[in-house]
Amino acid sequence: MSIFNDLSIALQRKIGRQRLRKWILGSIPFIFLIILWEMNSYFVWLEPVYIPTSGSVWEAIFTLQEGCEGVAAAVALDNSCLMTTHIFSSIGRVILAAVVGLPLGIAFGVIAGMNRTLSKFLEPIGIFFNSISGIAWIPLAIVWFGIGWQTTLFIMLNTIFWLLFFNTMLGVRGVAKVFEQSVLTMGGSRWDVITQVYIPGAMPSIITGCRMAMGFGWRALIAAEMIGGDSGLGFMIFTSAAEFKIEEVFLGVIIISIIFMATDRYLLVPMERWTIQRWGLVWKPT
Amino acid sequence: MPEKLLVENLTHHYPDEYTGESVHALDDVDLSVQEGEFISVVGPSGCGKSTLLNILAGLLPYHVGKVTVDGHMIHGPGPERGVVFQEHAILPWRTVNRNIGHGLEIRGVPKAERDNRVAQFVDLVGLTGFEDKYPHELSGGMKQRTAVARTLCADPEVMLMDEPFAAVDAQTRITLQEELIRISIATKKTIIFITHSVDEAAFLADRCVIFSRRPGRIKAIVDVDIPREERIWGNMNADTRFTSKRDEILHLVREEVSVEHEE
Repeated sequence: MSIFNDLSIALQRKIGRQRLRKWILGSIPFIFLIILWEMNSYFVWLEPVYIPTSGSVWEAIFTLQEGCEGVAAAVALDNSCLMTTHIFSSIGRVILAAVVGLPLGIAFGVIAGMNRTLSKFLEPIGIFFNSISGIAWIPLAIVWFGIGWQTTLFIMLNTIFWLLFFNTMLGVRGVAKVFEQSVLTMGGSRWDVITQVYIPGAMPSIITGCRMAMGFGWRALIAAEMIGGDSGLGFMIFTSAAEFKIEEVFLGVIIISIIFMATDRYLLVPMERWTIQRWGLVWKPT
Repeated sequence: MPEKLLVENLTHHYPDEYTGESVHALDDVDLSVQEGEFISVVGPSGCGKSTLLNILAGLLPYHVGKVTVDGHMIHGPGPERGVVFQEHAILPWRTVNRNIGHGLEIRGVPKAERDNRVAQFVDLVGLTGFEDKYPHELSGGMKQRTAVARTLCADPEVMLMDEPFAAVDAQTRITLQEELIRISIATKKTIIFITHSVDEAAFLADRCVIFSRRPGRIKAIVDVDIPREERIWGNMNADTRFTSKRDEILHLVREEVSVEHEE
């Protein structure tokens, strides 16, 4: 027992008691799921046609990566390195959509948030377009852009933009008037007010918007790739399912989830910690 | 002494936010403030004293009358008129240092010079050791010290203060009032201080302006001839020069409050 005790103390010192607790509690459902999965492989409650064994999912990685040589092959859309090709294809579109969509949504949101007239002008049309969920645009996008990257990019951009637009607009409207007044009385310009008051003041909403945009956008992208794409993880899942390669479908789903969890934890959560938590703008658990 | 700020025949109406009815906030206000003078404005709540301050700050456009600073009509806010707001007006996303240096940053003062000036004012308001803290890590009194330093650091001609100590606890308020006196001696700024506290108005000002209830008119101006160096709470409460002036102001303010109640 003393070995376990020492180990536990060493671990607690290294990562901290609270974090260790959170980490252990959070992984219990996953462990449970994996055990259930392994038990199914053993007792075969459901045939491997429906639920593949973990071993076959593991092997699917190598089947998909067959004939993979060099970095170029890993990215190029050909019949080699299918897994990495599709991963890079999806991630690339997420990055592109984020780089274009986030600043655009924030910019229009700030403009609409600071100008009552303009927001009356833009809000109804925004609600009109936002009422149609992201994926409902897929058929129309296919008509406009055909099957391919343009359609998937459009779907994701459309989802990201409106979420950021609305969140930023509401955030800017909620910024206390006195902050703006204090910058104006120090001789600040409109631009100073935008960059030094509206954007940091709306940061709690903007970050919520980013997290939502990444969540919904990522899901919309997968759906768009399934129906209107010619590459990406959604496309991979869809084509694999059509060929009854159930282990590839499982692999795809697992990869998608891992990428999404990693983006949230290692990009969006630190961003939140670095800005609004440091500024005391959110309730912080002690 | 030259005239720093001049208000002539200032009358102001504004539409009520809910009913839309026209509210008569200020009626024919005349006030002349000398350079380096400390003026307090006191009156019953809703008398229009904050409206006056907002007009002076340039945050509220006015249509009837004339307001000039150094002979120039004011149109909108300007860095020559610094404002210290009630509370929560320093930016939560800036540290104490960056809040205090904000005015200089807006003006494009180089960082080295800015840091130098900021350090001076951090010292003046007694915030040494808290330079890199964010506002949420400060007490109410420290936040207002930061707010005062921020306005002073931008070096305005006139400092407008809108009940800046109303939200801090009584002990801190007394300290802040004494510090403000000390700062006013050190910086020789022209200060207009809005308050609803008669004690505060009498303690701080060279001249105390008493407002009538709405529509706000200047009911009386009381001179408090006590050298600023002598203004320390420990002495003032027993000083008849102070207590008599305070009672005079209190009487004038209470007349307005009681008239309101009789109606």
